[in-house]
Amino acid sequence: MNYIFFVVKAALEDFRRNKTQTFLTSLGILIGVFAVVMLTALGLGLKQYINDQFSALGKDTLFVVPGKILSGGSFNATSALASIKFDNRDLLRLKRLKEIREISPIFSKQTTAKSEKKSEDSTILFASEAFFDINGFKIQKGRFFDKTDIDKKAKVVVLGPKIAEKLFGTVEAALDQKVAANSVNFIVIGITESKGGGGFGGPDYDSYMFSPYTTGFIFNPAKNYSRFAIKFDENYSISQVKEAIKKELLKRYDEDSFSLIEPGDILSAVNSIFAVLNMVLIAIASISLLVGGIGIMNIMFVTVSDKTKEIGVRRAIGARKKDILVQFIIESTILSVFGGFLGLFLAFVGTLIAQKFFPAYIDVNSVILALVVSSAIGIIFGVFPAKKAADLEPVEAIRYE
Amino acid sequence: MIKFRNVWKIYKLDGEIEYQALKGVSLEIKEGELVSIIGPSGSGKSTLMHLIGLLDKPSKGDILVNGKNITSLTDDQLSTLRNEFVGFVFQQFNLIPKLTVLENILLPTIYARKKLNYDPKKKALTLIKKIGLEGKEYSYPNKISGGQQQRVAIMRALIMEPKLILADEPTGNLDSKTGIEIMNLLKNLNEKEGITVVVVTHEADIALYGKRTIKIKDGEIVRN
Repeated sequence: MNYIFFVVKAALEDFRRNKTQTFLTSLGILIGVFAVVMLTALGLGLKQYINDQFSALGKDTLFVVPGKILSGGSFNATSALASIKFDNRDLLRLKRLKEIREISPIFSKQTTAKSEKKSEDSTILFASEAFFDINGFKIQKGRFFDKTDIDKKAKVVVLGPKIAEKLFGTVEAALDQKVAANSVNFIVIGITESKGGGGFGGPDYDSYMFSPYTTGFIFNPAKNYSRFAIKFDENYSISQVKEAIKKELLKRYDEDSFSLIEPGDILSAVNSIFAVLNMVLIAIASISLLVGGIGIMNIMFVTVSDKTKEIGVRRAIGARKKDILVQFIIESTILSVFGGFLGLFLAFVGTLIAQKFFPAYIDVNSVILALVVSSAIGIIFGVFPAKKAADLEPVEAIRYE
Repeated sequence: MIKFRNVWKIYKLDGEIEYQALKGVSLEIKEGELVSIIGPSGSGKSTLMHLIGLLDKPSKGDILVNGKNITSLTDDQLSTLRNEFVGFVFQQFNLIPKLTVLENILLPTIYARKKLNYDPKKKALTLIKKIGLEGKEYSYPNKISGGQQQRVAIMRALIMEPKLILADEPTGNLDSKTGIEIMNLLKNLNEKEGITVVVVTHEADIALYGKRTIKIKDGEIVRN
């Protein structure tokens, strides 16, 4: 089988001499492999990212929101434009439940935050001191506001790191400074650690400001809450807790006016959306692979034509039909695999760049799949021209001009 | 060594029209002979050469190689027989452009199905020395002259130690001086090494190198 060495050498020599043609021929495969591997890497990264976001919330967290947002595990957008607003009565009732350990009402306001030198559009999120614990925030400078601040309706604010830097230059400079929002002056008492987020529809908490909900009543005299974040007692099962909360709220609202959302629900909904999206994108990318294969087949037909005389000579000196077949299949496979490798390489580079933004990664399966698929394409699409070459009559082939 | 018994080669052109390239040709080529086959274009000498070289099968009649009838052989078997028995020399040299001189000479060996009792590379290097191309082992065909290419082609034809060298207008693309050198080389191989050589040509002076001349015209042997 040492003719494989000769065939490979001759093929590589051919490719070396026609670098442009070789590159263009493998382009389809290159793009296809790049797209498929890259999309898979991004998809995996996204999944990881979202899972990470939700793992910070813990298993004992629950959200009470107005409207029926999730029907049967999928997102219900119309219901999301909620009608009811919760109020203090609901807060007090829920607080009384034995299953609930911590509860934070939440409402927010878009505003323009002003420091001495800068101003920046931002969102103030008003909540109780429990909010930070429930959502897994950590402080990097100063402190969170506490029960005393809530009782006193203290005009204090905790900044996300991004807004702190935008208003004051550095996180350190922000502490104990004044921030004005809608003519109300707040004192910065703390800056949170970065929480990431902001992409893909999630809130960019790093650009938010947080203040006691009682202080927020200045902007919200009706004292309405848009949702509740809850940490429940782990001695109860999640279904028990949900039952208890439902029972309480049903005293006042009907079934369809509110939803109880576990992080897990959101996670599965998001994951399933991404899974479908990923598959669709990969299917589209695979079309490129198909086109690439057709391109290779086309070029190989031309190559067979160009090499008709050579094929005749090889047959004359003793090559069998299957020797010629193998020769051309090897050539087309080399072209295809070459494109595959280049596509993989570019996908590696692309993933490295993407990693600056979120945890994209290429797993071993993608690599193996990419190489197997590009080899398969080379073989499958190379068979037809190779067969044509093998079936050439030696006498006619030698005479070919 | 090779016997043709009433061999016909008929081609079917576009539908029902028949073209008779060879009509009832009978001849014999004995081992160690140097034979010329001469005829004008269209005489069927190319067809005759293809059949002697086992590149094709007759439409009617038998071809016997060392007593064995080749008409019953499969394509694979014919290919193997060609590989081991025949060495081709073409008018246009037909070296593979992207292989070196050495690799071109070794080309038949990569299709060899039998085990060789010698080291092909060593033999190739010896042959290269013999034809005076030492130093050009790793050159590509486009870097050597026509005469040198034909010499390489002859060495390629010899690498498998065939019983028969079949040369189709071997001097057709060469000047007369180089042509003479090539014919002398073939003559030498026949006389010194006992290799049977068949030269197909349309030139009378090339045909003279043969100890026997077979004349063909319109698909039939005119003189043997």
